[in-house]
Amino acid sequence: MTKKKRALTRRDFIRGTIGATFGTSLVGLNWSKAKGAAARSSLVTIVRDENAMDSNNKVNTDVLQRMLEQTLIKFTGEKNVKDAWLSLVKPSDKIGLVPTPHLNPTHDEVTDAVKSSLINSGIPEGNITNAQGRPEKPEACTALIGLPGLKAHWLTGIGTVLKLYILYSGSPRSYHEQNNAKLGEIWNLPFVKDKTKLVLVDALHPLCDKGPQPDPRYKWAYNGLIAGTDPVALDTVCLKIIMNKREEMRGEPWPISPPPLCIEAADKEYGLGTSRMENIKVETYGWKEGLLL
Amino acid sequence: MAQKTFRLFLTFILVSSLFGGTKSEMKAQKINLPKTVGSWTRPDSPRRVTSQNIFDYMNGAGELYVGYRFEHLEVYEYTSSQEDDILVELYFMSTSDDAFGLLSLDWGGEPVALSDSAQNKKNQIQPQSIRALYGEGLLRIWADSLYARVMATRETPASKKAVLSLGKAIAGDQKNPQDPELLKALSSQVGSDWKLRKDRMSFFRSYLVLNSIYYLSPQNILSLDHSAEAVTAPYEKVNKAGDAMRIQVLLVKYENPERARKALDHFHDAFLPEHRKDIKPDSTVENPSFFEVEEGWLGYQLKGKYLAIVFDCPDQESAQYIINQNVSNLSKMEE
Repeated sequence: MTKKKRALTRRDFIRGTIGATFGTSLVGLNWSKAKGAAARSSLVTIVRDENAMDSNNKVNTDVLQRMLEQTLIKFTGEKNVKDAWLSLVKPSDKIGLVPTPHLNPTHDEVTDAVKSSLINSGIPEGNITNAQGRPEKPEACTALIGLPGLKAHWLTGIGTVLKLYILYSGSPRSYHEQNNAKLGEIWNLPFVKDKTKLVLVDALHPLCDKGPQPDPRYKWAYNGLIAGTDPVALDTVCLKIIMNKREEMRGEPWPISPPPLCIEAADKEYGLGTSRMENIKVETYGWKEGLLL
Repeated sequence: MAQKTFRLFLTFILVSSLFGGTKSEMKAQKINLPKTVGSWTRPDSPRRVTSQNIFDYMNGAGELYVGYRFEHLEVYEYTSSQEDDILVELYFMSTSDDAFGLLSLDWGGEPVALSDSAQNKKNQIQPQSIRALYGEGLLRIWADSLYARVMATRETPASKKAVLSLGKAIAGDQKNPQDPELLKALSSQVGSDWKLRKDRMSFFRSYLVLNSIYYLSPQNILSLDHSAEAVTAPYEKVNKAGDAMRIQVLLVKYENPERARKALDHFHDAFLPEHRKDIKPDSTVENPSFFEVEEGWLGYQLKGKYLAIVFDCPDQESAQYIINQNVSNLSKMEE
C-alpha cells in the first residue's frame, strides 16, 4: 500500500522543514538532481539616485542612464560600459530582454536604456529582441537579460526575479496554487538554462503589497536598480527590501503572506543560487536614505 | 403535431434556461457612468472580462476574484489630454457578501461616503460598516453585490475629485446591505484583555485568499470553496510595555454539518498528524480540542455546520476562553 503524501503546512514552514515536500515537476524536469549544489557567494549591486524620478514619479532618463552605467561597471568590475557588456554577452548573441509585461510593469525607460546601452556597446540592434512571452521567444535567443519590476505578489509572496519566466512554462496558472514553490524549475528548462547573463531589477517605484494589481498606497520611490546574475540572491535581497518597507509602513510586524517559498526552493531544490543573506555580497552605491537593508 | 408540440416544448425550455441562466446578471446593477468627468472621457463601451479571460487581463490577480463568487468585470479607461488616465473596474459579484469580502481584505485608506440612496433612507438602512475607502488615487467600493476599483494613474486634486465623482456615480443608487452574518460571531472583546482587530477582519471563501491573510498551507486543507463562508481576524492583547500578543481566529460556515465535520477531519490529518483526533462521525456538537504546536496553542471546535479554530494562543486557557466565546456566538446564530 502506498503511503498517502502528507500536505505541506504552516508548521513545516515554521520548523524549516518545507524543502522536503515540493513534489514532482510541472514541466517534466528531474530537478532534484540540482540538490546539493555547491554553496556559492553571490554579488548583488544596488545603485540608487534620489533624482531618478521626479515628484510625479516620471523617470529622468539622463539620471537613469548614469545609474545603468554605474551598475554595469560596478557589477562586472570592467573599466567602461562597453567592456562590461562584452564581459556578459557576445556581439553575435541573439539577446532577449525580458521585462515584466504588465501590472506594475518594468518602466519602458529601463528597457529602452538597456537596449540603447547594448547598441552603443556594439551589439547590432537586430540581435536584440523582447523575449517576454511564449516559450518560443527564449528558444530563439542565446542570451537573456532579465528586467523584472520589484513587487510583492499575493499568490507567491514576491513576484520579481524567479517569477519573471513564468510564461515560459506554457502553463502559468499551474504555478498559482500549491505549486508556486516550483517557480525555480522554469529556469532549468533546456531552452532557458544558463542563458541569463544579467538580471537588472527595476526598483525605481516598487510595490510592497497587493501585487500584481497596482495599489498606489503600497508603492514608493526607491529609485534603485538592483543587479546580479544569481536569481535567488536577487530575490532574497528584493524580499528583504519589501519586508522592511512593510514594517516601516505599518509600524508593526507585517509578515509577507504567503511566504515566498519559491526562493528557498530555488536554492535548495533547483540549485539556482543562494538564499542565505550571509552568502550574498551586497554592494550599494549612491543615495543611502531609505535603503531598507 | 406531436413533433410541433415537442419543438414548442424545446423552445420553451431553451427560453426558460436562457432567462434562468442570466437571472443573476439581470438582477445585477446597471451602472451609469458619466461619459465625461472633469477633463476625462470614457469610451462608449467597456472591456468585458469573464472568469474565462480574467487571467489574460490581470494574470495571477485573477485568482483573487474567482476565489469569490465572481460573475464578470467591466473595465473603462477614462483618458484626458491634460492628465494621466483613470481606470474604472466594476466587479459584478453574485452576492453582497462577496463584494464585501473583496473590500475587507484591506481596511486601510480614508473612509468616504458615496451613497445617498433614497431607497436606503426610506428603508432606514444604516450602513454599519465602511463602504468605500480612498488612498493616494485609488478608491475601492463595496456597493451591494458590486465591488469597484477606481484608480487615477497619478493623484492630483483634479483626479481625486474625478475619482470621487465616479465613485458616487457607481455607488449612489445602490443598496447598502448588512455585513456578512458570520462577522457577528466575532466578539469585539473577549474578557478584559483580548480585543478584536476589526481593521484586520476579512471575509473570504478561498484558501488562497486565506493564505494571503494568514498562511496555513499551499493545499486546501480546510476544504474551502464557493459554498463556504469564512472570516478571520486577530485578537490582540497589549502588555504594559506596549508589546502586542496576537491570537488568530478563523470561523467557517460550511454548507452542512457533514461537510464541516469532514473538513475538520481533513484539517486535523494535515495540520496535526501527530496528535490524537477525537472527531465523532455523528456528533453535531463537539467538545473543543486543544493542541500545543510550534507557535503556541491551537484549538478547534465544531458546532453544527460551523467550525471555529484559534491559532497562536500563548496558553491553553486563552485558547479555551476565545473559542468558548466565539462558539457561544455561533450557537446563537444557529438557533
